[in-house]
Amino acid sequence: MSIKLKALLKSPWVFHLSTGSCNNCDIELLDCLTPRFDIERFGMVLIGSIKHADVLVCTGSVTRKCIPRIKEVYELAPRPIIVVAIGECSLSRGMFIDSYNCPVPLDKIIPVDVYVPGCPPKPEAIIAGVTKAIEKIRKSIKEKK
Amino acid sequence: MKREDILNGIKDRFEDSITEFSDRSKKRVYIDIDHKVIKDVIKYMIHDIGARFNIASGIDARTEMEILYHFTIERINIIISFRVRINRDKPEIDSITPLIKGAEWIEREMHELLGINFIGHPNLKKLLLSEDWPEGVYPLRADYKEWDKDAIRDRGVK
Repeated sequence: MSIKLKALLKSPWVFHLSTGSCNNCDIELLDCLTPRFDIERFGMVLIGSIKHADVLVCTGSVTRKCIPRIKEVYELAPRPIIVVAIGECSLSRGMFIDSYNCPVPLDKIIPVDVYVPGCPPKPEAIIAGVTKAIEKIRKSIKEKK
Repeated sequence: MKREDILNGIKDRFEDSITEFSDRSKKRVYIDIDHKVIKDVIKYMIHDIGARFNIASGIDARTEMEILYHFTIERINIIISFRVRINRDKPEIDSITPLIKGAEWIEREMHELLGINFIGHPNLKKLLLSEDWPEGVYPLRADYKEWDKDAIRDRGVK
């Protein structure tokens, strides 16, 4: 395992991108940081810049005005990056499926690795989603060997 | 000034322009008014009565466009709404932004979502919609149709 991947799996840093959400998923994501759920025991830290991130967490139905900005954030991210879509809006736009301002779901814009359904998903589900992504990478590396 | 004094004052001042006066409840009054006098109404409400301009709201009523200008008078706890009706095919009305700076953004929003042209607005451009939104397509009109051929409207499940 390369030192880069080892560091990523040991302590994934999470960047949170809200793409026009109702803030409910964002609140659940903030709950993960509280002592009750405490994602720091997995080495996860919520950080303020995409340039330091290993995991890109997206919430919200993707609005038309947000699409070029999502692409820009994804391009700025250091590789490898794991993209996690949180909530029904990111997955399939939920109740906004016929909205004039939400033309496509998130996975038609950037490649998504983990889907966490729910409206909003529980903090446990969010943590399980990110840890599943880490396990997936770990397994794929072992298989290569 | 009491509630009756204010309402009677509006009635006397704009007697010829008021088409309907509905006193719904203690806290809510709707006044239908001719769109040509809207600037005078707003001057009167702000300077003479001392009301606060709350918000304006636009509706596509299928036969005509409606704009409601909501005013709050906190002293006596009342909301007064002035409703104007304008031609739907060529929706035009005088802008109130030169009188109230706070009305700039709501007029820009009504312009892009409903296609109402505000005459005399200093900066009538897009506010919320994206830059590549086509000209002449207004999403909150009743006859809006999907224009984007790339849009996906199913959940990928059969």
